[in-house]
Amino acid sequence: MNELSTDNHKNSSSLSIKDLLKKVFFIDLIQGLFITFNYTFTKTITERYPDDEKWIPYKRFRGLHTLNRNKEGKELCVGCELCQKSCPTQCITVIPMEDKTGKGIADRIAYRWEINLLRCMFCGLCEDACPTEALKLGREYELASFSMQRQIRSKEELIKPQPIPVEFEGGVIVRATLEKGDKEIKVKPDLSVQKRWW
Amino acid sequence: MGQEEIRGLLPVLELYLSNPLVIMMLEILLIFIKVVVVTLVVFSLPLPLTYMERKVAGHIQVRLGPMRVGPHGILQPLADMIKLFFKEDIIPSKADPWLFRIAPVISMVPVFAVFATIPFGDKITIPFINYEVSMYISDMNVGILYVLAIAGLSVYGIILGGWASNSKYALLGGLRSSAQMISYELALSFACIGVVMIVNSLSLVDIVKAQSGWHWNIFYQPVGFVIFFIAGLAEINRIPFDLPEDEGTLGAGYHSEYSSMRFAFFMLTEYVAMVSMSILAVLLFFGGWNGPSFLPGIIWFVIKVVLCIYFFMWTRFTFPRYRYDQLMSIGWKVLLPLSLLNILITGLIII
Repeated sequence: MNELSTDNHKNSSSLSIKDLLKKVFFIDLIQGLFITFNYTFTKTITERYPDDEKWIPYKRFRGLHTLNRNKEGKELCVGCELCQKSCPTQCITVIPMEDKTGKGIADRIAYRWEINLLRCMFCGLCEDACPTEALKLGREYELASFSMQRQIRSKEELIKPQPIPVEFEGGVIVRATLEKGDKEIKVKPDLSVQKRWW
Repeated sequence: MGQEEIRGLLPVLELYLSNPLVIMMLEILLIFIKVVVVTLVVFSLPLPLTYMERKVAGHIQVRLGPMRVGPHGILQPLADMIKLFFKEDIIPSKADPWLFRIAPVISMVPVFAVFATIPFGDKITIPFINYEVSMYISDMNVGILYVLAIAGLSVYGIILGGWASNSKYALLGGLRSSAQMISYELALSFACIGVVMIVNSLSLVDIVKAQSGWHWNIFYQPVGFVIFFIAGLAEINRIPFDLPEDEGTLGAGYHSEYSSMRFAFFMLTEYVAMVSMSILAVLLFFGGWNGPSFLPGIIWFVIKVVLCIYFFMWTRFTFPRYRYDQLMSIGWKVLLPLSLLNILITGLIII
């Protein structure tokens, strides 16, 4: 308290002519006005997400699971159930089956492969456990839906090719269009029109 | 109807217009039309102004402002208006119902009444019939006095609204606004007196006419203008001085308890007050509708008023809010003596 009062006293006694002129001509206020005026004409940093633009994450992003095929188009998943065993929240269900038709890379493929997204915490342990690199966490992150049933995703959907190719580097904002379906709302990206976010 | 027929009708029309009774009827009709037009325009002004304010705010803060309703969010104010219409109109159970209902109207009527004497341009002549129409509802010989007096009445609505809501925040907002209005009204009026002394008339039309040919009052009364502007900011409760609706300490200030259309009336009052303060600044200091002759006077007038409103919005998103004791000390210790000194020096120079 004492220090404060001495400080005030010092300030009032050392009020120079320059400070006085600064106050009289509102120099500080005018400087402030110029700063905000400059900001008015700088480019805005708003990402117009659902309407026009969408953020494409980096490759390392952990989003919705994908099941992959090898170059010949054979399913990489061998139904080993390691992902199911490694899952901390036990949200993965794998039922393997014998298959001699050559759909997969081995004689054993997944008969059912289901993930319950309501329980999944996207830790990526299943991805680490997978011996054939069949399972990857993809870049899909719009997971809201109109029904609970939709939150259980099965192999038939996850094995489809991804809308964003694996080679795509990510980390950019691209042009997008908002699409409303019966089950969910999706923002469809158009990778050809890009804009760096910084 | 061909050109020939119109020409043939003209003498008849002129004869008709020379009848004094017809002229009187026309004058009354004309005043009625002017009142209706001005009221409608002023009523619809808050719509573009809210949009402008939000866009200015957005771009100053490096964002976009409203974008989703219509192209570039241009229909946003309409959506807001519809929302306000259909919201529930709550009257707090312990509020004074009669005062609570009438307070928004009390604050709204004076700001509209101000427009009765504000001139928007010089006389214009309607072609063919050579009939002169003035661009103001009435040219009072005490115009500026009338404007200041009526605009000051609007504070009653704010105080009553704050009192009737039976809420401590609303009451504090109302009290603050009454103290603020009283202290800054003085400085505002004294700043106007400097202009009145130069022009030798209280009529707003005469004040503007005296400034024709770049003899704008801001060049003769710079100090007066600064005082007028600062006091004006305080009068219309805008940001460096918006203590009656200080969100940080008072919730929303005097309109905390209001919702729906009654709240919209308070908003309307605020925006119309801002417009009338900008118009007053333009009339008194920036030469009203005077300007280079390649544009008509009314356009110059609108441009100047819009720039002035933009400046009000610009300051709102630049400056922080003053503390209450700072507000009072600026009003009484700086602006009031300075405006008195301004009057004294103006008087000495004129003599």
